[in-house]
Amino acid sequence: MPTYTLTVNGEPRSFDATDDMPLLWALRDLLNLTGAKYGCGEGVCGACTVHLDGEAVRSCITPLRLLDGARITTIEGLSDDGDHPLQRAWVAEDVPQCGYCQAGQIMSAAAMLVKTSSPDDDQIDAVMSEHVCRCGTYQRIRAAIHRAAAEVK
Amino acid sequence: MRDRRGDEEFERESESRRAGVMGSEVDSDNESDHEFDQAMAWAAARNGETVVAADRIESDDRADESAENGARVQVDDRTDVDVAARVDASRAARPAAVDPLAFDSRDPESPRRPASVITRRRLLQAAAGFQIGVVVSRFDSTKWLIGRPGDGAATADAAAALQEAGSAVGTFIRIDPSGVCTIITPKPDIGQGVRTSLSMLVAEELEVDWEAVRIEQAPPDGAFGGQGVGGSGSIRQGWTPLRTAGATARTMLIAEAAESWGVPASECEARVGVVHHPPSGRELSYGDLAAGAGSRPVPPASSIRLKSPAEWRIISKATGRVDNEDVVRGVAKFGLDARPEGMLHAVIARPTAIGAVLESTDETAALAVPGVVAVVVMPEGVGVVAQNTWAAIKGREALRARWSAGPHAELDSAAIRRDLIAAAGEPAAMPGGAVTIVEASYELPFLAHATMEPMNATVDARADRAEVWIPNQNPPSVQGSVARQLGLPNAAVTVHTPLGGGSFGRRAGTEAATEAARLSRRVGAPVQVLWTRDDDMRQGFFRPASHHVLRGGLDADGRPVGWSHRAAFDTPFGAGRPWAPGTYSMPGFQADMIESSTPVSTGIWRSVDHSNLVPPTECFIDRLAEAAGMDPVAFRLAHIRSERMRHLVEVAAERIGWGGELQFGFGRGIAVFEGYGSRIAQAAEVSVTPDGRVRVHRMACAVDCGVAINPGTVRAQIEGGVADGISTALHAEITIRGGAVVQSNYGDYGWLRIDGMPEVDIYIAESSDAPGGMGEVGYPAVSPAIFNAIYSATGIAPTRFPVRAADLAGWAGAVPPTATPTAVEPTPEPTPESTTRPGPDPSDEHMIFMPRAETGRTGGAR
Repeated sequence: MPTYTLTVNGEPRSFDATDDMPLLWALRDLLNLTGAKYGCGEGVCGACTVHLDGEAVRSCITPLRLLDGARITTIEGLSDDGDHPLQRAWVAEDVPQCGYCQAGQIMSAAAMLVKTSSPDDDQIDAVMSEHVCRCGTYQRIRAAIHRAAAEVK
Repeated sequence: MRDRRGDEEFERESESRRAGVMGSEVDSDNESDHEFDQAMAWAAARNGETVVAADRIESDDRADESAENGARVQVDDRTDVDVAARVDASRAARPAAVDPLAFDSRDPESPRRPASVITRRRLLQAAAGFQIGVVVSRFDSTKWLIGRPGDGAATADAAAALQEAGSAVGTFIRIDPSGVCTIITPKPDIGQGVRTSLSMLVAEELEVDWEAVRIEQAPPDGAFGGQGVGGSGSIRQGWTPLRTAGATARTMLIAEAAESWGVPASECEARVGVVHHPPSGRELSYGDLAAGAGSRPVPPASSIRLKSPAEWRIISKATGRVDNEDVVRGVAKFGLDARPEGMLHAVIARPTAIGAVLESTDETAALAVPGVVAVVVMPEGVGVVAQNTWAAIKGREALRARWSAGPHAELDSAAIRRDLIAAAGEPAAMPGGAVTIVEASYELPFLAHATMEPMNATVDARADRAEVWIPNQNPPSVQGSVARQLGLPNAAVTVHTPLGGGSFGRRAGTEAATEAARLSRRVGAPVQVLWTRDDDMRQGFFRPASHHVLRGGLDADGRPVGWSHRAAFDTPFGAGRPWAPGTYSMPGFQADMIESSTPVSTGIWRSVDHSNLVPPTECFIDRLAEAAGMDPVAFRLAHIRSERMRHLVEVAAERIGWGGELQFGFGRGIAVFEGYGSRIAQAAEVSVTPDGRVRVHRMACAVDCGVAINPGTVRAQIEGGVADGISTALHAEITIRGGAVVQSNYGDYGWLRIDGMPEVDIYIAESSDAPGGMGEVGYPAVSPAIFNAIYSATGIAPTRFPVRAADLAGWAGAVPPTATPTAVEPTPEPTPESTTRPGPDPSDEHMIFMPRAETGRTGGAR
């Protein structure tokens, strides 16, 4: 079983795993970082979204063999103290209902804001429609992204 | 456990309905209690608990069948491998020891980061100040009990009192010497927000700083009263007892301060965790008073004064969820985040069709997958236990489990539909005064709950005790299920209720817990069972499919004189129940639910049977309105019984711009729902492309839920109801082929995403009435409002849910010349072929063509 070394939330982490194991399960089951969630296992719901070298990826379909030496950021490492503008905006807009999908939503939104600092509704929808929120918090997600974008400006 | 009184009330009301139906006002609160009781009883039946009133709840056979999911495999106790050795090896191989309490280890310095899970022992030992418990029957007089830290007798007394009182709800408050106030919330939070809203009720009357309150999740315990969630019951049940609990503690704290100062209690007042004596300027904090107050006699409930609405600082203020900070940091703990020390992961190979029997597996291949530690043949299927989830999934693939086709190999959605149509039969004849007869039929599909967090449970089963982590809708039900599974007394089973990643009725089923218990005992380690998305989508229970035939009669003046609605479906609550919405004042109303059971496992889903019954009703109201030559809003205002509901209809219509001009291809529709102690009117504005694609642009929702305890949550529930309504009007259905569910993931079960979410405008009526429920209320009227808007836009009244583009395609070419729409702007995305495409085939039995009202399109554009 190969050994992988990844930089996860700024820390080097080494572990043994099969090369086909998706990053999601390495994070959750081997590194005890449970912020990224399992929702679909097929990359169609977005609950597992993390950053790979700054890009939002679906960790449930990203196998470790592609990742040795990669820099991974999970929701736990998005900010030092929960103070990312999106995290503050998510609280301010009272976005979560059940909350299960929200870490993935925030990680996608965070990657988007790096590239598009003031997205309009269409740009938000284009990126965020990769996600499912079964509780229907979409209206508040839009509002929270706008709020965070305005704050960053 | 069902409450007998509820049954008797239900029977009385059913009798009165059978006798008079639409003749008298339905008491929505009574209705609501029945709805809650029914939901709980259904879940109890499903989970194998003893069910009172089995005559109405088709319990045992169906529960067994669904619990086993049709599997007919023999339990195999062979030791396939040296399980113990492999488990030990896996423990040694774990990368790091995990603190068993890591699951509750939140930052103790942050009052807003409450532990979501506590054990009973910790709960009782943690209290250094005082602890107060209130046990209040839902139906009976208030009973008070007070407990000292570690004083189990109080709890036993409480449980005994509950035995007398029947179903009850209660809570504990704990104040430690530092003044930290902890509210132990009795009910699970599955996204509906009760950890916040129930705690608000206590905090309001306790008179504490909301931002500093800690929230703890109660273990299953009779002392907490009824802990089940469902039927939008939590707030209604908690409204009086939880406020009374807070007010009683406040009264005792004031009395303690007054005595220590030697002044009358009437001169003292409590404000934000401090008791003040204004005449002398003295003050004492709750922390200083806690120990003394806890030893005072509990004042009788009749002496407790609740705050007036004018005094509220917390209730009726939009309040953020108490778990938001944890959620956005990724540290909130859901069921799948449980990590007891030495935990193994499992998935189960499940039958590929309903009733399929296991024929063969390749256990050797599964065990050869790195990380797999055991393969266990069990009634539910073949469990693959491994060191991590991925190994378990790969092990399950390697099993190549082969299943028989099962006894229902020929079953498909078309056959089920035929049965439902046959069962529905013909609506009743209209009375003699009926001059105009209107008919329509509607069909609704099976629906999956598709919670974002799939079903799961983690169990550490020991010889003499067990510990369970499972998102659920009823902790005592989980406890009972696992105890029965393991042959343990209930008291030996500790249940943790983490946050639930959605539920919508699904987590009333506790099968994941019994599966994990079985596997944990078998391998001698804690086991987390994950239902993969495929398992979750295909192997659970479903909102029943239904077929509806309706016939209505109008007299010469367009007044309704008769209404017959026959609804055939596998109802969660059994056959024959007459159904009579009290919304409309209509003579000759008759509605029947006809049981048509299917091998497909069905059960409760958001708004339960209202999700089947309201959409056809509200679509048909529009058909009657049209036949009467009336606008749908005007027709509703003419026949809706309640002034409060009429007000909501007016507000929703006004906010959606009812009567205003519409672009070509746009339409507006409205629908209403009353139930669970609340009422709502919901209006939709949609557009339909010439090829039949529907988009919902705006929803205007007007709700009257009595006092809105947390308006933020009321809005959230309506937003969620809108998302569900759009999903089920336009996209989602579960279909059956070869005796199995076809859909397997969010790719083919098309739930709404952000790009289909409209602007939702919500009006909450001012009210000082006791609060109604909200979890179910925002859903049932949404899809009929959309269907009615589609008719407004296209002249085609869709009758099957979800509407397909093919049902509407070509509508633009089918518009009769006499009804040329008001073309304010060009058609969106006009295509050359759209104008020449023939209209829908009138022979399509899914579609019913209705004559257009002479007054023009509904929803405006006169």
